[in-house]
Amino acid sequence: MQITVNGQTQELTVQDNTLLIDLIRDQLHLTGTHSGCDTTQCGCCTVLMDQVAVKSCTILARQAEGASIQTIEGLALQDLHPVQEAFSQEHGLQCGYCTPGMIMSTVYLLQRYPNPSDEQIKEGLAGNICRCTGYVNIIKAVKSAAKKMQETKA
Amino acid sequence: MNSPKELLRKEDLRLITGHGKFTADWSYEGMCHAYMIRSPYAHAVIKKIDYQQVLKAPGVIRVITAEDVQQAGMKSLPTGSTMQNPDGQNQVLTPMPVLATDKVRFVGQPIAMVVADTYEHAKHAAELVQMDLDVLEAVTDYEAATQSQAPQLHEQANGNMSLHFIKGDQAATEKAFEQATFVSSMGVKSQRLIGSPMELRAVVGKYDPVTERYIVHTPNQGMLGMLGALEHITGISKAQIDLQTQDVGGSFGIRGGAFSESVLVMLASKLLGKPIKWVGTRSEIFLSDWHGRGLDLNGFIALNENGKILGMRFENKADLGAYTCYFGSFIGARNVSITMNGVYDIPAVSMSSELYFTNTVPVSAYRGAGRPDIAYAIERLIDHAAFEHGFDPIELRRKNFIQPHQFPYNNQIGSVYDCGEFDRLLTRALEMSDYQNFEQRRAQALQNNKLRGIGLAYFLEASGAGTAPKDQVLGQFAKEGILRIYAVTGASGQGHETSFAQIVHEKIGLQTNQIEFVAGQSDKVMVGSGTGGSRTLYGAGSAVFNLCEQVLEKSKALAIQLLNTKEDKLHFSNGSWTNTETGEALTLAQMVQKTFVEGQPHALNATGEASSGATYPNGCHVAEVEIDPDTGVTEIIQYIAVDDVGVAISPALVQGQIHGGIVQGIGQAFFEQAVYDETGQLLTGSFMDYAMPRAGCLMNIKTEKIEVPTKNNILGSKGVGESGCSGSLPTLSNAVINALRPKGITELDMPFTPAKIWAALQDH
Amino acid sequence: MNTFQYHLTNHLQLAKDIFVSNENARFLSGGMTLLPSMKHGLIQPDHLIDVSKIPDLQVLKETSDHLIIGAAVKHDQVANNPMVQSAIPGLAYLASQIGDPQVRARGTIGGSIANNDPSADYPAGALALKAMMVTDRRDIAAEDFFTGFYSTALEEGEILSQIKFAKPIKSAYAKFKQAASGYALAGVFIAVYPDQEIRVTVTGVGAGVFRWTEAEQAFLNPKMKPSIERDDLISDLHAPSAYRVNIAQVLFKKAAQQIQNN
Repeated sequence: MQITVNGQTQELTVQDNTLLIDLIRDQLHLTGTHSGCDTTQCGCCTVLMDQVAVKSCTILARQAEGASIQTIEGLALQDLHPVQEAFSQEHGLQCGYCTPGMIMSTVYLLQRYPNPSDEQIKEGLAGNICRCTGYVNIIKAVKSAAKKMQETKA
Repeated sequence: MNSPKELLRKEDLRLITGHGKFTADWSYEGMCHAYMIRSPYAHAVIKKIDYQQVLKAPGVIRVITAEDVQQAGMKSLPTGSTMQNPDGQNQVLTPMPVLATDKVRFVGQPIAMVVADTYEHAKHAAELVQMDLDVLEAVTDYEAATQSQAPQLHEQANGNMSLHFIKGDQAATEKAFEQATFVSSMGVKSQRLIGSPMELRAVVGKYDPVTERYIVHTPNQGMLGMLGALEHITGISKAQIDLQTQDVGGSFGIRGGAFSESVLVMLASKLLGKPIKWVGTRSEIFLSDWHGRGLDLNGFIALNENGKILGMRFENKADLGAYTCYFGSFIGARNVSITMNGVYDIPAVSMSSELYFTNTVPVSAYRGAGRPDIAYAIERLIDHAAFEHGFDPIELRRKNFIQPHQFPYNNQIGSVYDCGEFDRLLTRALEMSDYQNFEQRRAQALQNNKLRGIGLAYFLEASGAGTAPKDQVLGQFAKEGILRIYAVTGASGQGHETSFAQIVHEKIGLQTNQIEFVAGQSDKVMVGSGTGGSRTLYGAGSAVFNLCEQVLEKSKALAIQLLNTKEDKLHFSNGSWTNTETGEALTLAQMVQKTFVEGQPHALNATGEASSGATYPNGCHVAEVEIDPDTGVTEIIQYIAVDDVGVAISPALVQGQIHGGIVQGIGQAFFEQAVYDETGQLLTGSFMDYAMPRAGCLMNIKTEKIEVPTKNNILGSKGVGESGCSGSLPTLSNAVINALRPKGITELDMPFTPAKIWAALQDH
Repeated sequence: MNTFQYHLTNHLQLAKDIFVSNENARFLSGGMTLLPSMKHGLIQPDHLIDVSKIPDLQVLKETSDHLIIGAAVKHDQVANNPMVQSAIPGLAYLASQIGDPQVRARGTIGGSIANNDPSADYPAGALALKAMMVTDRRDIAAEDFFTGFYSTALEEGEILSQIKFAKPIKSAYAKFKQAASGYALAGVFIAVYPDQEIRVTVTGVGAGVFRWTEAEQAFLNPKMKPSIERDDLISDLHAPSAYRVNIAQVLFKKAAQQIQNN
């Protein structure tokens, strides 16, 4: 099947029961996307599929045929993405395990709400669990990233 | 990629770009996959296990069984320190076997490991096992475990009791209670929790038959502790095991020692001659990572007519789970006793603790390991005594604080507190929380049919003295002038690479991008404690400081040479030596570059070391909550945390630790509980039923630090990793009780779920 | 997950044919319920037939009296669609409260309704809004469709293709989430139709969605305090039934208030 990952279109052979996360991690060796639960709740596996945040642990690779997937590894181009910078600068990560998924969810959140309210941030991150930071600095990071991105546009 | 703008931590670049390396990220050519067969029953006799169908299943290579474990000469898992009573009575130990032999004692207990060519094949095959088990009655709580006809888990443990531990001065305490004007009691339950670090536990192992060495990748909290456990269980010398771990996704005390899966992967890699990977699923992790807490703490306080505390005692119960594993006993006996007077000057203290067994997952360390629990119990007791006997809860605390001149303070039950300025922190916390005007806010909220409460707690906890006699770090310069520092600590998000670089930068002026901190390299072994008990910053950090002192001293001699001058004409500042006569200057890096000889250790290399004793981080937290009586939902309006962590090396990281600990406390206070049914099935078996705090559970938090430097290490730093938990449990519970007390509710246990609060309100 | 064969088609008839000619087949829409069940081994189909690209199942349109939503329409589409927000705001809000953003990006209304989880949100909306379930072979009214605990009137191989909602004058949904799963510990939907026809439905409280007739009366008589007495009330480790009933009462008030305010 054909799939585009981080801008690269490729032909891959998958089993019908291969999950998108398995394709990403095991076949493409992009191990930045993580598995953290088995009930589709923790969000560590979040990637962007056609620019929409989805949980790659609950999508068959076949369902992603023809789609364009962006993983954490594909976020930074020449420079780090403002969301990545903000997460570091605001100390929105500690162990880093939930971070790729949290960052991808934030990118999607800011796409929909460039200047998000507290409620919109809470709602936007409702599908991502962090055990280390207590979320306080993650929320700061989201706001900082929003500001950075608005300044770039201006 | 262009060089990034200023990032906060050295760890960050790889983690925010998806280039961290966690255990499951390791892969080897020809790797096989393992899946565990676990007990479906809480208590059963194993009559027969038939693996025939498993072995015939597609892709299966082998099943590692209890027989294999026995043939390999493996011992059981370490039981941790053996608790002992003053009369010399030792606790009954019940070590957990790597794989169950005659009996299973908790749902999830490992029975066998299936190895196949793919994970799916291994999992599928495991389901075909045929187990002939005689199911026995299970016990899952204290009442059930200790009643006279209770089924006994272990032959050697009568009445399912491991030890009735006693400590302190019973006689003096009894006398204090006899003489007291006022006596109060408050029992609290610190419920069983499931730590749930986000990284799923995994092991990847590879055996080299030529060198007879094992490569093991698995999350850990410091290589020596993990190697020690692996060696203890397998009998394989540490020198034969190369433990390679880069990033660990949270540990919180759970990952200190080896699990069954760790040694089984090693064994399988040898028996099969292939690399083996095991990754747990979250549901499995719920049943196999050690659980946390599980303590009942019943406190009694004796006051004189002025509110001076004459004595305090505790009668505790500690659920060890099915086996004595690692830290469970230590927590339920030692940890809940050594700071049981909290921040108060109490002349007579004593405690007793029943350590008992149940058919549940064994309990070990989870962030705080007994110290948040005892802080919770003490501060609830103080609040309750104040309420019962008409004392102001703040003044009652103040008048009993250990005063600054009393330090170092020996609390006669296991701790010598280093230093503290409790009154100063309390005053600041009251200020920051606008405590004095709270009753107005309560009244206003009541007009909107909301119940507001304010809770204050002053906690103190013991940070670890460490398991090793001293901490060492190896400092080695590379030819570019980069300093590499090697240690045996084990970070899981604390930012050690950054903090230690900070120490070096501040002491000898090297730029942080010229400093690399590397822990856990097997060819760089030294003496030192792993990470646990909130001590790495001051433990290994003090060794780093000492390393810097040595480097500086050695560099002076080199500077004399390179700058062609005498000692009194030299000046060091900002990382450079300057010849004060000529003005010529060299940075340390330049000095190394000039004098580096390939293949030879550089003259400035050194081994830093330090002996750092326990420290006593403490703090005053205040929480204001608002409860909707119609739904029982609690909103945290404001949370104030004033903490004394001694000298803070990396303030942002310190704050991050406090946030994290507080929110884990919020988890325990409002959301989390491991629930078993009477047959021993874990009802909260996944995140569908075990509620974790989510973004937004804490929106309005202000933290402040007040540094009271400790003399117990060179840096003057106290620990901080677990303080957030110790502060938040009592603070949040006091706040909730404060909100509910006007309705006649004086006792309620965590988690304060909406349903529980609502039900309590209905009963009043 | 077990091994299975994946089929993708954008023809409804082909989907039916594939189902009929293969044993142990299941339809796949968003996969937010089916795939987790398969990962746990609870369901082990030999064939998965992906119906999410069939045009009939993707419609989102209205007539003067109805809103018609294709079974494969995703939750966030329903939540964010201006037509839905204007015609049945309660339904748009309901969809916005399902799961989390990632789940809403994939989960579908058809998948939810065909599953009939007693704590799911859509059944409350469907029953309140006199929904007609349009399948490949018949139309089934909501009260006949939801037959019990995780069960519906769908026959073997029957494909739910669209859901027709009767446009109400007013609508509102209020939900109290179970803290771990995000499902409804209780959820109450109110739909107001002409001639004082009030429909109030409850999810999360009983073995399946039900009409709360006392609340329907209470809506018109604010002095009444509606209670729920049923023998299938859910009590579990999260909350006893008494609490669920209490929350349903709170949610009813909240939803009713929203309707008064609009």
